[in-house]
Amino acid sequence: MILVSVFLLLFVLLFSFFVLIPEGQHYREKRLELKKATLEYQQYKDYHDELMANLKDLQHKNRHIITAFDTIFNPDRFQKLNKSYFSSLTLSKLTREKDEDGFAVYEVNTSSHISSPKNFYDFLDGVNKSDWIIGVNFPINFQRDGEMIHSSFTMKVYANNRDTNKTTSSLQKR
Amino acid sequence: MNYSYIEPRKKTPFTAEFQLIASFFGVSILMLLLTYSFLLYKDYTFKNEKKRMIQERIFLQNEIATINEKISYIQKQSVLAEKIHTQNMVLKDSIANLFDLVPERITLSKAILMKNGLILHGITPTKDVYNFMLQAPLRSIFQKTYSSFYPAKNGWYYFVSTNYMDDNTDEELDIED
Repeated sequence: MILVSVFLLLFVLLFSFFVLIPEGQHYREKRLELKKATLEYQQYKDYHDELMANLKDLQHKNRHIITAFDTIFNPDRFQKLNKSYFSSLTLSKLTREKDEDGFAVYEVNTSSHISSPKNFYDFLDGVNKSDWIIGVNFPINFQRDGEMIHSSFTMKVYANNRDTNKTTSSLQKR
Repeated sequence: MNYSYIEPRKKTPFTAEFQLIASFFGVSILMLLLTYSFLLYKDYTFKNEKKRMIQERIFLQNEIATINEKISYIQKQSVLAEKIHTQNMVLKDSIANLFDLVPERITLSKAILMKNGLILHGITPTKDVYNFMLQAPLRSIFQKTYSSFYPAKNGWYYFVSTNYMDDNTDEELDIED
């Protein structure tokens, strides 16, 4: 019995010192590593949440601009929306120009009749609130035509470059 | 033949000492094994949890990169839109200033606004009226100003005023009083 007791005691001691204690240390290391990984993950999560809030805020503040860049220019709709400023308004065919800052640029020539320059100022105010991003460009011609002013000018319509851009419409769905 | 008056006790290997030792070692070994199993189990869960955390972190990193891309794209859109809106407003002010510049005695028949120039066609009662009331302010804006006149039937003068800015000056046509 003494032999068995000694054997068991030895087993307990050897098991404790050579198996259990190293495994315990291993456990502590793993726990520390997990804690570190969790902390790192939490930092990323906080940063992600912060960025996401920024993105939502930006989307909210610039929703008109985002939609305008995403909207395909429709000459008929443009004429319908702006006919109040002009006695007559004619648009040429839209032509694709060289990209600017990564955005697609389309050019359209406009010919119109206005009764006074004020109509043109109102039109420029209206263009800034329109469904598209439109820049009125030089050259601008004004010519007296009886009681009316004949005006012709070039407009540049800016849109998302659908070839390279993932488009922002997906942003709004988020 | 009996040498004792009592019956011999039945001998058992499970003596009290043995039971004590067996239960001591039994409990000890059981506790050791349970602790060891607990540690092994925890190791396994830590490993899995860490793997999950790393995957989540990689996912977040990708998401962060995408969000940053989207933010910079919206900022780019916003900057461009602002620039275009400002240009439209500058253009509006420029045209308004141009028409304000023309005195009532002079009548314009045609105006061509270019990026760095302005061409005006019109009629003036006298050359002096044109020179003092229109050409002078135009000269203060444009570096090169050319004028030509030809007589109208009523004694007035048709004029063509061609005005250019130097290329190295601000290219925007900004007519300020």
